[in-house]
Amino acid sequence: MSIADLTPQRYPAPWRWIIERVWRVEHAFERAHADGRAENDTRIRIFVVMSLFAVGFVVMSLGAVWSATFAHAGRTGGVVAGAPERADLVDREGRLLAVNLIHYSLSLDLKDVWSRRETKAGLLAALPQLTPAQVDRALAAKKRAFLVGGLTPAERARVHALGLPGIIFEPEERRVYPLGPLAAHFIGYTEKGGVSLAGAERALQADILKAGAEGKPVPLSIDVRVQAALEEEVSAAAAEFHPNGAVGIITNVHTGEILAMTSWPDFDPNFQQRATPDQKLNRAAASVFEMGSTFKAFTVAIGLDTRVATPDSTYDARTPLKMGYRTIHDYHGTNRILTLREVFNHSSNIGTALLAHAIGNAQLAKYFAAFGLTRRAQVELIESARPLTPKKWDDDDIASVSFGHGINVSPLTLAQAMGAILNGGRMVPLTIRRMPVGYRPEGERVVSEQTTLSMLQVMRGNVVEGTGRKADAPGLSVGGKTGTGEKYDPTIRGYSSIKQVGSFAAVFPTDGPVEADRYFVLILMDEPKGGIRTGGWVAAPAVGRTIDRIAPFLGVSRHMTPAYGAPTLIAARAAAPTAVGATPESGL
Amino acid sequence: MMSTVLNHRIRGFRTLNIVFAATLLILAVGVNLAKTIAGRERNEIARVEADIGKENQRIRMLEAEVAHLEQPERLERLARGYLAMAPVAARQEASIDTLSDVATRQPGPQAVSTVSVMIP
Repeated sequence: MSIADLTPQRYPAPWRWIIERVWRVEHAFERAHADGRAENDTRIRIFVVMSLFAVGFVVMSLGAVWSATFAHAGRTGGVVAGAPERADLVDREGRLLAVNLIHYSLSLDLKDVWSRRETKAGLLAALPQLTPAQVDRALAAKKRAFLVGGLTPAERARVHALGLPGIIFEPEERRVYPLGPLAAHFIGYTEKGGVSLAGAERALQADILKAGAEGKPVPLSIDVRVQAALEEEVSAAAAEFHPNGAVGIITNVHTGEILAMTSWPDFDPNFQQRATPDQKLNRAAASVFEMGSTFKAFTVAIGLDTRVATPDSTYDARTPLKMGYRTIHDYHGTNRILTLREVFNHSSNIGTALLAHAIGNAQLAKYFAAFGLTRRAQVELIESARPLTPKKWDDDDIASVSFGHGINVSPLTLAQAMGAILNGGRMVPLTIRRMPVGYRPEGERVVSEQTTLSMLQVMRGNVVEGTGRKADAPGLSVGGKTGTGEKYDPTIRGYSSIKQVGSFAAVFPTDGPVEADRYFVLILMDEPKGGIRTGGWVAAPAVGRTIDRIAPFLGVSRHMTPAYGAPTLIAARAAAPTAVGATPESGL
Repeated sequence: MMSTVLNHRIRGFRTLNIVFAATLLILAVGVNLAKTIAGRERNEIARVEADIGKENQRIRMLEAEVAHLEQPERLERLARGYLAMAPVAARQEASIDTLSDVATRQPGPQAVSTVSVMIP
């Protein structure tokens, strides 16, 4: 065989050159041997092997120099130094709501403990939360025993200062909620070990972990100032009327952002294991109620949107209405012919049932579905409960549903549906995320913009001259609807006239164009106590006070009319530093 | 040609061996120096990263402390207690444009009866 055989002319020139070089090397040993120069044969072999090793060594050396000099030394794969496992949660203005902080677990290494008595005394003095039994149990172990976790840096320093041998600290991340019970149901909480269990912590779990690795916070939709005002007013109302539970919700009707949400009684998520299930229950999302007359807002809106009625259409409420097997009465009986506005203002069940009948079962059921009243609220919170709806939409059920009976929805579902009436007629999902400025989602249209404008006027009328007068806030053009729903009582197998749900669903400001900034406020009392338990009595005043407080935070300016009196100058009062009920507080 | 390269000697040592040995030495020293310097840099970076981590933890602790101390309910309680402050009533609110109207509605300064003082 020759080179000519190996490299026929049909091969390209570079390919022939490579084959020739390989062939020459391959046969160099044979040629040297044939020439009788055996020493050259050996030397050539050694030379070739050494060359190969040298090339390999050079390549490895260059690789080592490259990796040592230019590799990303000290970098941690994009994880920011000191970044927590779970991201901080902040409100829409960046105020801290939840944060992972380094805490310490304390263990005892018994082989280094030289005096058990002294160790026990020292630990009990430094950590008052420990019990003697706990320490005894740890000291009774044979080798190493865990004693307590979640120690703050200050507590760790106190134990350190004892100078006791055999004490081991190990850092651990712990979720801390610096605002305590504020917005507890909204923020949610995590279990030991970082397992999220409720609220935003659970709903936004993936986002929180991702943002945590990047060292960024997760902004939520609530405003701490608005939340605090709502909670205070709901708590004050609860203290006055002693309900089983209470709910407060404030939303931006255009964006669907939940600006505040509270459920009473509340709890401190820092100590969630001490809270009762009743305290942990998020009544705003996970409970469903027969809302009562707040539903009349939907029926009236549907009547206006379908042009079955105008605000001036009249309805005969002089006598109770027989519909199916039941008779419908008015709580605030007027015994006269009412316009639609008056039906709404006086919360006439008879007038609303007549309107529902005129609208028709199919049409009403279709609108209720479009308002989202037959499904769980579209919101990230997994607690959001599914409504209890009528099995069939016959005359009797339609009459009941038209004024909020026979249908149970969660307060969040109600807030979402009310948003569709008040924002220009589009169905906008609720959200617990902060949305960018100018965000206006294009939801599915439910009612017309004209219906929205009419409903704003009708709801304003309810506050000016209807059942919601106690909700008025000077200059803020509050509108709304009261609601009083009777609860089903299993003991009497019927609706109770004592166990009621009183609520007030409000909107402000009602003046201005459809696209003006507008907010929905709901306060609900579940089984309030006292002589009067209607929504106009137990919830409307709290709504008015809340709106009065939060309007400046939301940038809603007052338009004072002479009816409220003109602004006056009021002399400044001197501070009273001695009249103090408060004491400086310790930190975390 | 090949034979010339292989057999060439300097002071009895094959040139090729000397070249290989020198290359080996230079590479070994080079790699060692690079690793040492890079290791030092890496340690320095790790130390700075750890410092940043600790500093971030301290900042986070302080931020949590601030948030805790700035709880709206606490601020309100302290403002009421120490400063006798209260929410602004609706009738106390006025815009810049309405300030002149507010001023005109205020009662004007009243004449104060003069008192003669006898100076002995």
